[in-house]
Amino acid sequence: MSGGHRNLAAGLVLLAVGIGYGLATAQLPDRTLPDTPGPAFFPWLIAIGLIGLSAALSVRGLIAFRQRVAVVAGYRLPHRGWLALGGFAAYLLLLPFAGFLFASVPFCGGLVALYGERRPIITLAAAILIPLTLFLVFNTGFQALLPRGAWL
Amino acid sequence: MTGDLLQGLLQAIQPASLAATGAGCLLGMVAGMIPGMTISAAMIIVLPLTFVLDPNVSIGLFLGLYAGGMLGGSFSAILLNIPGTPSAAATALDGYPLVARGQAGRALGMAVSASFCGGLFSALCLFLIAPRLADLALQFRSADLFSLVFLGLTIICSFASRSWIKGLLSAVIGLAIVTVGQDPVMGTARFTFGDPNLLSGVHFLTALIGLFAIPQLIENLRGNGLGGAIGPGVTGSPDSPRSPGGRGGAAPAAGAIELRKLLPAFADLRRIRLPMGIGSAVGAFLGILPGAGGPIAAFISYDYAKKATGRGDRFGQGAVEGVAAPEAANNAVTGGALIPMMTLGIPGDPVTAILIGALLAHGLAPGPLLFVERADFAYGLMFSFFWANVFNLLIALAGLRLLVKVVAAPRTLLMPAVAILCVVGAWSLRNSIFDVYVMFGFGLLGLAMKWLDMPVVPLLLALVLGRQLEENLRIALTGSQGDVSVFFTSPFSALFLGLAVVSVAWSIVGARRQRAPTAER
Repeated sequence: MSGGHRNLAAGLVLLAVGIGYGLATAQLPDRTLPDTPGPAFFPWLIAIGLIGLSAALSVRGLIAFRQRVAVVAGYRLPHRGWLALGGFAAYLLLLPFAGFLFASVPFCGGLVALYGERRPIITLAAAILIPLTLFLVFNTGFQALLPRGAWL
Repeated sequence: MTGDLLQGLLQAIQPASLAATGAGCLLGMVAGMIPGMTISAAMIIVLPLTFVLDPNVSIGLFLGLYAGGMLGGSFSAILLNIPGTPSAAATALDGYPLVARGQAGRALGMAVSASFCGGLFSALCLFLIAPRLADLALQFRSADLFSLVFLGLTIICSFASRSWIKGLLSAVIGLAIVTVGQDPVMGTARFTFGDPNLLSGVHFLTALIGLFAIPQLIENLRGNGLGGAIGPGVTGSPDSPRSPGGRGGAAPAAGAIELRKLLPAFADLRRIRLPMGIGSAVGAFLGILPGAGGPIAAFISYDYAKKATGRGDRFGQGAVEGVAAPEAANNAVTGGALIPMMTLGIPGDPVTAILIGALLAHGLAPGPLLFVERADFAYGLMFSFFWANVFNLLIALAGLRLLVKVVAAPRTLLMPAVAILCVVGAWSLRNSIFDVYVMFGFGLLGLAMKWLDMPVVPLLLALVLGRQLEENLRIALTGSQGDVSVFFTSPFSALFLGLAVVSVAWSIVGARRQRAPTAER
């Protein structure tokens, strides 16, 4: 996707967000004295800024798109990045149910493998030892209560 | 004041504080040496640790990280021609040619000495300027504070030079996020959609962990980040060829980095007196200014030293003055940046923004009142900063050979640990899984912003300053019955708004000079 496409897409999404934010601002209660700013005052300024700037970004993207500005090699998520993000999301969903230790072990093992570790024993050892060490440091050492897990 | 000063000194020399400061320096140096790992990211990684520590101990750890990270960045710049931090880029110009001539120890010794000098000078500035500035800041009223925060927000311009629209959009998104939760004046719930988790708003540190750490984790999956970046170069033989992409010459050997050679010769010390002085002064001054930061200070000092020493023709070919000036400057920036952070609550760079967040997590609000309500802590912070510079020198001289080996730790183990630490950090703030999800959401936002080439720093600054901006704006307008002239009739406010205009104009001119004649993306 070229820079123009990206700007246009992002501009339109942010424009929608800005309009939504403005609509939500309009719903805010107006508890204030005359001639003094209420709770909606600052959000209105932001909504105007957000809508104006995202419209400007959309226009800039549209101009670049129509003028067929040369494609710029922009940021691309690495292939393994998608896997890592998916794994991270699954880990976070599992965390409140399985608890810190049991949710972290498979996640950590997966990440160790994604970062290029090919030796199964090292992967397994790291998958267990890294979460266990962090659990002992924080939960036992610093008395910080990490997620315990509803299933446990 | 003397009592607070003494109390601060006592807090800073407690064994736990000293140990934390030393550990921070060590971690900071390691993090700074790893190309791709920023000081901000290192701070976020240790953040969960600090929640369970005493504030004096935590701040020692963070200041050690800050000072150590600055120095560590120059080690990889000198040894590998790969600056570990942006601030160390100028150091590589003369540091690496020295290494290529087989003088790695001399180059590193110059960097360590100059960093120590710059750091101490900025610590002195901190001691002399911060309490007086805090006294002055106590006289500020809401209109002045609004204009001051607005001035702080003009830092955004420095980070938005590639695209003003995207930079401002990033800041506006940050301000919109700040409005979630109870409003700062009346306590009205805004944009909470009935969810009690949102009543207290989005925690700044939760956002920070996601925005910085998750994109970094994903970026390191590319395979060009950490793993063995320094290891091969350092452990190779003295005659081993330079890795591709460098400027030629031999990579340093571990054997070349000897303590004996790290100690600078007297002749060298005499030679770097002037560049060190220039770097220290420029760095401390630019550190105070919002948005200027280490990289600018380092390059300006390099340029001034080149002109002032009369040996400009040798710069770029391995002149020790070319190492000393930027190194003194980038370490002097740290103390300078702490001045507006402590006295006004205005962050000068992303690292001080994280420091503000860390202090807030401990219930300490940086600003003029810090010197009134917790003057002992404020002075303790200054003393810890002094100790951080001392530890920097000692650790660098004693353990550099070992340090460069530690950096070769495999990425396959480091990155998963960092990922789990992100979760621990977000969870530990309020023991809430909601915060962990918010952290992940901000990680996705950080990646989206990267995809869009939108700077993250304006969003970060807006998250730090947004609440103060709104609060002071509304209080000032309420006091003046909606009359906006209050911002121009107050001398302080008018001064800050004038400086804000200058700051923006400066950024525009600077960006126009730098910008290539291509259209904005």
